[in-house]
Amino acid sequence: MNVIEASGLGRRYGGTWALRECTVAIPAGHVAALVGPNGAGKTTLLNLAAGLTAPSAGHVTVLGGQPAGSPMALDGIAFVAQDTPMYKNLSARDMLHLTRNLNRRFDQQYAESRLGELGIPLKRRAGKLSGGQQAQLALTLALARRPRLLVLDEPMAMLDPIARHDFMASVMMAMAADGVSIVLSSHVLAELERVADYLILMSRGRVQLAGEVDDLLASHRLLTGPAAEADRYAERLSVVHASRGEAQAHLLVRATADEPVPSGWEAHPVGLEELALAYLREPTTVLPGPDRARRRPLRSENGERTEAAK
Amino acid sequence: MTALSVPARPEEDVSLRPVPWQRMGWVTWRQHRATLAWVVVFLGVLAVLLYLAGRQLYSAHAAALAACQSASSPPCPGAIIAFNGTNGFLANGFMLQAIPPLIGAFVGAPLLARELETGTFRYAWTQGFGPWRWALAKLVPLAVLLATAAGVFSLMLDWYYQPYFVAANQNLSLTEYTPFFPGLFDLRGIGFAAWTLVAFAIGALVGTLIRRVVPAIAAALVAYAGLAFATSLWLRPAYMTPMVTSSVNVPGSAWVMSQWWTKGGKFAFSGWPPERLFAQYCPQGPPVAVGPGGKPKQVGLAECLTPHGYTQWTAYQPASRFWAFQWIEGGWLLVLSAVLIAVTVWLVRRRAT
Amino acid sequence: MDIDKAISAEPRRPAGASPIEFRLDPASGVPTYLQLVHQVEHALRLGYLKTGDQLPKVRDVVAALAINPNTVLKAYKDLETKGLAAGRPGQGTFIQAALTQVALPELSGLRRSLLGWLADADTAGLDEDGVVALFTSVLRDFYKRRGGQGDRGGASGETEGVA
Repeated sequence: MNVIEASGLGRRYGGTWALRECTVAIPAGHVAALVGPNGAGKTTLLNLAAGLTAPSAGHVTVLGGQPAGSPMALDGIAFVAQDTPMYKNLSARDMLHLTRNLNRRFDQQYAESRLGELGIPLKRRAGKLSGGQQAQLALTLALARRPRLLVLDEPMAMLDPIARHDFMASVMMAMAADGVSIVLSSHVLAELERVADYLILMSRGRVQLAGEVDDLLASHRLLTGPAAEADRYAERLSVVHASRGEAQAHLLVRATADEPVPSGWEAHPVGLEELALAYLREPTTVLPGPDRARRRPLRSENGERTEAAK
Repeated sequence: MTALSVPARPEEDVSLRPVPWQRMGWVTWRQHRATLAWVVVFLGVLAVLLYLAGRQLYSAHAAALAACQSASSPPCPGAIIAFNGTNGFLANGFMLQAIPPLIGAFVGAPLLARELETGTFRYAWTQGFGPWRWALAKLVPLAVLLATAAGVFSLMLDWYYQPYFVAANQNLSLTEYTPFFPGLFDLRGIGFAAWTLVAFAIGALVGTLIRRVVPAIAAALVAYAGLAFATSLWLRPAYMTPMVTSSVNVPGSAWVMSQWWTKGGKFAFSGWPPERLFAQYCPQGPPVAVGPGGKPKQVGLAECLTPHGYTQWTAYQPASRFWAFQWIEGGWLLVLSAVLIAVTVWLVRRRAT
Repeated sequence: MDIDKAISAEPRRPAGASPIEFRLDPASGVPTYLQLVHQVEHALRLGYLKTGDQLPKVRDVVAALAINPNTVLKAYKDLETKGLAAGRPGQGTFIQAALTQVALPELSGLRRSLLGWLADADTAGLDEDGVVALFTSVLRDFYKRRGGQGDRGGASGETEGVA
């Protein structure tokens, strides 16, 4: 089952397309990370999946084909928006009561005990809680609904390191205990490798890359060799990003480990952060389709190859 | 790559029963109980003030009626002036006309606009209840509560203005209003409740469109004012065809819509006579008579002109049609409110935000 | 290597819990699941883990380290494939066998030949980092050719310690 499936999805605000030609299929049972700079379209994609806004083009279904925003979808998806919106003048207990009344399923006991563990007083107004506590309260409300998919839009922006760790630990435990699938957006790359096993890289409203992390890492290599030969090999190889010094050049290429390395060159595996950064530095580079194993030349926006080829 | 298998959920039912409507009852109450309390307090305080002012008005009226048993008794003129001057600022009702739009704008506009402005709609609309049902479950109960509160309050308004509708007032030169007087018509009957309802509905729709609380309140007030003026000036006069009479004794409670004169079956002039006619037939000027609201009565003119073959015609709505007009106006206001609320809910359902 | 306590507060340890606790070095460049696998193997070598011991429950690892539970499952599957551990449905993952121990005399023989090789490398002018780089690259090629599950270890050239 795909928890989020989009086909040609786009959303336009006035004259600008915040998201366009988005085609992804996020499988269940994963932690999918949406990564990209501000304005890349991550929030737009999540809003569309949550049913908060309607598409301008294409369509999106969730939880195995349910239309986004339909009653089944709303029932199975818990969404925590950026800045964890909350009714500031309601107490934590009121927020629990509210959420219980608005949903079919609500685990009151879990919610209360979790808040107790976190040290969040039930009587205090939500507006008087710290940023971290509000985020934890929002997460508690979401998890207590026992969703099948948890969608988090930059949930940890306001959190200090310990709060981030606790937040993420709670999310991961929900996945371990209940099999909740997670889709979260982030622009902090460093934590991704520990947490994400499905990656969607976005830039300027388009999806650059989407796939299981293991497959993505297995299909990319970093080649290090003489700068003088870099251009020549760039013709034959699918280069994502090149960086070069006077004598030495690094080419991040799309290639699997069993493909031959040009003589005089060294091949290293690539880490997730390095891979993400390379693609984000080349925003016009788009990896075609969800199949990653086949070797195809990279297609950029206006038909040009990436910078290394020049 | 191993992935966790998704455990079977025991309460999975394919045909999803929606979350029952009554659950929203607590939600609406908890979120808006402060606002409702403010409305009740506001109307309550006004009601008390109105009661105290009404006591003054009633005693002044009774005093005037008693003092003027015989028209020439000495305390009579003084008592008349005293009554006409009591609570003068309330007399024509225009100040109180502000209550429905204030209630409607300040309760209706922030309802959805605040959620959209603060971003809490991202919480509310992703819960299992669903956005459009949530909106409907807030709008309808609040609309009913507000209309009811306004309706109850308007009983106090009705009581207050009774002294101005007594038939004897006209003869005694006491202030008398027709029930159709623009400032008073929609303070009584079902008008007050209906206008409060439509103000709320306008506020809610405008709030959904504008998505910011303060501009939405302002826009709602402007829209309401436009509708109220248009109704008073053009719509209300057209509800029923006016009655026409040539009698000069049109009761003070009637809503005079127009007057004109004919001579020999042909139209002569409407309103005031032209200068030459006036000079010809009423050289000393007509006996001045002042009717309700300070309008000069045309009874005096008839004395000059009728002997010369002129007939005065009056088109008016009799006071007995008051309730018919109330039902017509209340009816279309109710339909309009329902339409506005339906459009608001439809907008939420479309989620074009 | 010392087995550190988890970063967050220590949860109470009920009876029958695992003897070891995982830690994570985010900056090491080694994939997370591999770090877990290595820590188990290392614990086996040092004797912290014996046959029949239970590995930490997935949710406990996740709670302590805030990592993807699939990663833990992957590590445990890896250990299963190597024959070191076995999962018992509903109970957890348990150590099944010890690492193949090399006998003591063979160990001292290997040590001697390694010292000899290092002396040769030093004579040839290879410094420490050069030794490490050469060794890592040959090690990788060797296991690749052998077709085993060989460690796809970090590009930084981390070496396996031989106990």
